[in-house]
Amino acid sequence: MRRDLKEVIFFSACIITTVTAISLLFIILSAILVRGLPAINLEFLTTESKEFGQNGGILYQTMGTFILIGMAGILAFPIALGSAVYQTEYLSLSLRGTADLLVYALNAVPTIIFGLFGYMFFGVFLKLGVSWLTGSFILAIMVLPTVLVSIKEAIESIPFKYLEAGLALGLTQERLVRAVIIPQSIHGMVTGLLLGLARAAGETAAIMFTATTFSGVLLPASFREPVTSLQTHILILAQEAINPRALTNAWGAALVLVALIMLMSLGSMLIRATITHEAER
Amino acid sequence: MKPLFTLKDVSLYYGESQVLKNISLTIDKGKVTSIIGPSGAGKSTILRTLNRMNDRIPGFQLSGEVFFDDENLYNNGTKVHLLRQNVGMVFQKPCIFPKSIYDNVLFGVRHLYSRRKHEFSQIVEETLKAVSLWDEVKDKLNQSALELSQGQQQRLSIARALAVEPRVLLMDEPTSSLDPTSTCAIEELVGRLSGNLTIVIVTHKLDQAKKIADDVVFICEGKLIEHGRSENIFSNPSQQQTKDYLKWHLCKC
Repeated sequence: MRRDLKEVIFFSACIITTVTAISLLFIILSAILVRGLPAINLEFLTTESKEFGQNGGILYQTMGTFILIGMAGILAFPIALGSAVYQTEYLSLSLRGTADLLVYALNAVPTIIFGLFGYMFFGVFLKLGVSWLTGSFILAIMVLPTVLVSIKEAIESIPFKYLEAGLALGLTQERLVRAVIIPQSIHGMVTGLLLGLARAAGETAAIMFTATTFSGVLLPASFREPVTSLQTHILILAQEAINPRALTNAWGAALVLVALIMLMSLGSMLIRATITHEAER
Repeated sequence: MKPLFTLKDVSLYYGESQVLKNISLTIDKGKVTSIIGPSGAGKSTILRTLNRMNDRIPGFQLSGEVFFDDENLYNNGTKVHLLRQNVGMVFQKPCIFPKSIYDNVLFGVRHLYSRRKHEFSQIVEETLKAVSLWDEVKDKLNQSALELSQGQQQRLSIARALAVEPRVLLMDEPTSSLDPTSTCAIEELVGRLSGNLTIVIVTHKLDQAKKIADDVVFICEGKLIEHGRSENIFSNPSQQQTKDYLKWHLCKC
């Protein structure tokens, strides 16, 4: 009897926690949807912001976010790929645990520290200043562990028979990487990159004072100019708005940002679904 | 005639467990040598020492010497990828890349001899003819190779290995996942290819070894029990263990 009771309590606790988690997510998403939707129209998406965000749209904020994460992806991907290949194909088995530990440690660093370090190194030491390139470097370092771990998992999940088949034909290690390892894990790599970039798209603290300004910039004309971004735009509008229209625009921008991140996550899920499909054949 | 492979007192370990015990053996050029023995005896392991495919297995350690012609394979100077270009291998299950039939045949060649591009379609035709697959696939070379049957896929794997023009072909139970018709096709193929090519084939099917092998190597529990001409081993084995194995498919070693 007592065992039954325990079972019931345990089961209910599971249900309650699950419902709590799902409804929290639901509440946040529906709040953003309800408050943000009135702001969304074609003009909002395709014009620049006016009067410090009270009027106009978020075109350049959206573009700024794309520029920041796009460049971050371009910078992070080759480093992550090279390092993942080294760790899975060349590094001795006894050192792999240490390498994993270092990557996880890097992942655990609070983003504001990346912002601080990144600004000191890229902004001040390399004299890039407050610029989109500084921001992209910071975001690249930030997403590196995520992308690296995903690529490593993708490589490790390649069936051993493909590697053996390649090696048995006399391919060198370098050829094996190019002919077998990269083509057979490309889906997983893209998935990892998208997940990493989705994370970067939501990052605010690290780029707030290092890469973005609130208003007055359009597209950067050089490497050393800042951009505006959706995430910083939302923060500042929400902090400083007295005008209800500005607040609505903040929710609108939030909705666009959330939609963007969800699209990237969805994209990575779809790509992952196609790999399992292939593996099952 | 000088043997192509010479194993001298080879012992092989994976970590603590010893898989091969003091094996000395020679394999002749241009012959079909079949390695037989119960499962877990170390048949595949011997085969894989000949092209160093065991190297990647954690805990791998080898003592003794393995010569290919005059080259000591486990010397530090050996270029493993060059060895494997000379000593090709076909596995138990066909391993086909998710590419077209054409690209699968050229998988090794494309990366090894990229300068011979103008010969590519000729190589595809010749090797597919050599494995008797040409007539079945000549009209769909650009279709995915994954749509072929298991037997066709295994013949495609052999074509892919032959395209690199190896001197030796190692086959690790190549018919164990195939239906009888495909099995016969591959057995017939082995007979046709030997001569120019040295073939070492691991099998647990005695009738297959009897049918295709010139020489037979019988191993059990990692030890070499008997090695000799196929007809001698099957009609008049010298060791009691071999007699038992041929009769009961079991051995006490």
